[in-house]
Amino acid sequence: MKRRSLLQSALGTGGLLSLGGCALNPLGQEVAQLTRPLNERIEAWMQATTPVPEFKRNQVEPAALLVNSFNGIPEINLDNFSLTVDGLVQQPQQLGLSTLGQLPQQEIVIRHVCVEGWAAIVAWGGVRLADVLRLAEVSPLAGYVAFESADGYFETWDLRTALHPQTLLATQMNGAPLPVANGAPLRLTSPLKLGYKLSKWITAIHVLDTLNPHRLGTWEDQGYEWYAGL
Amino acid sequence: MESQHHHPLWTRTLHACNGALLIGMASSGLQIYNANPVFGGRAGEPIPSLFTLGGWLAGGRWWHFGLMGVFAFVLGSWLLLLMQWRRQRLGRGGDLETLSASANAKKRNYAIHKILYTLMLVVLSLALLTGLAMYKPATLWWLSGWFGSWQQLRVLHFATVPVMGVLVLGHVLLSLKLGGLRLLRTISW
Ligand code: HEM
Ligand code: HEM
Repeated sequence: MKRRSLLQSALGTGGLLSLGGCALNPLGQEVAQLTRPLNERIEAWMQATTPVPEFKRNQVEPAALLVNSFNGIPEINLDNFSLTVDGLVQQPQQLGLSTLGQLPQQEIVIRHVCVEGWAAIVAWGGVRLADVLRLAEVSPLAGYVAFESADGYFETWDLRTALHPQTLLATQMNGAPLPVANGAPLRLTSPLKLGYKLSKWITAIHVLDTLNPHRLGTWEDQGYEWYAGL
Repeated sequence: MESQHHHPLWTRTLHACNGALLIGMASSGLQIYNANPVFGGRAGEPIPSLFTLGGWLAGGRWWHFGLMGVFAFVLGSWLLLLMQWRRQRLGRGGDLETLSASANAKKRNYAIHKILYTLMLVVLSLALLTGLAMYKPATLWWLSGWFGSWQQLRVLHFATVPVMGVLVLGHVLLSLKLGGLRLLRTISW
């Protein structure tokens, strides 16, 4: 008898806890903020400045790469397309696709990880973002980079990850020209950031010294984590 | 009254903290699950919201990653303290022998009991490792490499919830069988 009533009260407590869970939902952001500064410090400290080991080309998983977009696929006129690089730079740039094509090309075979939980090994080809930023001569005061996309998507990054040797502006995917659904003509890719940091259809890059806390990124402004390092 | 406290204060405290944190980790994990179910992907069946914590994906991640450090600290210090001062209470090879060789039912039950709660600590350590492997797959690439494909890694991490569910149930029932409410009191207050 006693045993049964104990079990019942245990089950009852479980039920209460899960109901309480819903009431607890709004508290989540506070819990996250308590531990996030330490988490981010540890992440930035651990994060490789040396390259992340890559996969083999035959390990790519084309079917696993799902397409996410917050606002459909934008129409981009490729004839007069150019990438703007401005902000805290000595030499602001307007780079056409042919100019970008003349920079050193690199392929990385990495795991693309989505915040939703799925992941896919992808071979991305393109130019190093570091080379593009070097053309523009970034000011020593700079600390952040903002990316604008043709569909209105917005992102901001720490300069350190932007300059990482495996952070690319991709124009190729799995050995073929980048499909429009995956961000053509230009998208970001890096083994070091979650998928929502990897903007598609990029049209402009702004180099910044500080971040506007109300304009961190399309999903970040809804509550998703800003650093989102992998 | 005093003599009822067979378990030192630290193990009682960590036992309780671990239990509470586990509820938070499991329910926020199940919230994350719903953004893209491990089984079935976008077409997969979501977990009922009764069992989830956070309300939406970012909310689930606030809790899961907000609590993970505390969870790791509690589990880690409990393991260290147990191995240092209560090693004789943890399961070991000899318990498996007792299980197969001893004719004494009570002895056998105690052996199962020890194996069971020690196994829970192992499963939770694995949850921590598979969790870290998915949290920082690039920085901790060597760790992520231990667990095979991404899907295998996800299944292993998710398995913590059903496996712990069964083990906790067995642990509670067996504790009650072995020592009833008296034993429960020695670990709770
Ligand atoms: C320090 C410990 C832990 C860390 C670092 C961690 C990390 C993670 C990460 C990164 C994810 C997202 C996975 C993905 O994107 O697919 C996740 C999901 C999940 N976690 Fe944990 N976790 C930890 C402990 C736990 C524990 C103790 C439990 C259960 C009691 C748990 C249950 C879950 C579940 C059910 C999911 C959803 C599975 C999925 O969608 O892939 N986690 N965890
Ligand atoms: C949630 C996960 C749980 C884990 C990982 C766990 C683990 C453990 C461990 C390692 C011990 C041995 C502690 C020591 O001797 O210092 C223990 C003892 C005990 N636990 Fe748990 N436990 C859990 C949940 C529960 C629950 C929910 C109950 C009851 C409602 C419970 C009841 C007991 C009792 C009565 C003992 C004393 C057993 C004895 O001295 O033989 N445990 N538990």
